Amino acid sequence: MSEASALLRDLAQALDPTHLIVGVGEIACAREPEVLVTQALGSCVGVALWDPRLYIGGLAHVMLPAASCSAAAGKRHRFADLAIPDLVERMVDMGAGPRRIVAKLAGGASMFRGESGIDTIGDRNVAAVRYQLERAGVPIVVEETGGSHARTIELSTGTGILLVRSYTYGIHEI
Amino acid sequence: MRFDALSEMQIDALRETGSIGAGHAATALSQLVGHAVSIDVPTLEVLDVGEVPELFGGPETLVVGVHVRLLGDVGGSMLFLAERSSALALVDLMHARPVGTARAFSADEEALVTHVASILMSAYLAAVGRLADVSLLPARPSSTLDMAGAIVEAVTSDAALRADVALLLKTRFYDADTSVDAYLFFLPDPAGLGVLLGRLGVA
Repeated sequence: MSEASALLRDLAQALDPTHLIVGVGEIACAREPEVLVTQALGSCVGVALWDPRLYIGGLAHVMLPAASCSAAAGKRHRFADLAIPDLVERMVDMGAGPRRIVAKLAGGASMFRGESGIDTIGDRNVAAVRYQLERAGVPIVVEETGGSHARTIELSTGTGILLVRSYTYGIHEI
Repeated sequence: MRFDALSEMQIDALRETGSIGAGHAATALSQLVGHAVSIDVPTLEVLDVGEVPELFGGPETLVVGVHVRLLGDVGGSMLFLAERSSALALVDLMHARPVGTARAFSADEEALVTHVASILMSAYLAAVGRLADVSLLPARPSSTLDMAGAIVEAVTSDAALRADVALLLKTRFYDADTSVDAYLFFLPDPAGLGVLLGRLGVA
């Protein structure tokens, strides 16, 4: 590939960055200018980590507080106590500085209002994520959690901006 | 202990049970709205919970969800899901007016769909309860209109529920003029599923 076409490719990539979808119970990391997306967070919590010097981002779609919550087979990273340490480790493996990483959170809603059974799982997920981030020494710079609506989030690794989309409130940045 | 353990014959028995429940629900709904409404269960299948949002075209599709927790011998959840447009058509069907009359899914529409779903789920649970000789009682229903993925995930991350597989009953509401498709998911917890399959002669 010539230098010019490589430059064009980089430019195209910067203007229309790859969107990497992170599924329920998964984690992923990426570098500028990629965008990490996770869709339809309900009671789950989206944990967006970012190294502002090297523009490395990480995203987790956490479903339950801890591995002790479920004996059923399934994705390892659906639990906050496994997803967050692993995500931080992967970012550090990519070169991120553990002391530079900051976090933004979204999700943790109570999708079904007025029911005693399942309306606290979102709150418990948020509490577990906060605890795990504190243990990992990662400060939370902003969070948009709770409520009773679903959210899709997009982390831009180039800017650290977290885009939050919902049917209830439209699109905004945090 | 999983639904996968069910034989074709037992799946048939559950589908038949679904049809009986649907028949009872149709009678109840016809009484409620004062004109004939029919319901059938054309298909029943076992599927991974993670595949549920794909039925609606992806996790962000706007759907109406009605959820009840199960009480009694079999714990777990039941979830009624319909695309927004189907839920509006269901409202029109209940009012015996042309589809397209209801345009907004506001509090009245939500209450009616919740009521219909609740009757359907209660009738289905009563039919399964009789077949397997277990008590299956629905708790108070709650509803929402939002992304399919978020609704499914909220139900499956319920601490009491660790089901990774659901029994899906495709459900069709119809009268002479209109037909509306919805989905009913039966998600017993592992202990409850064990009880149920044992009574059905699978364990």
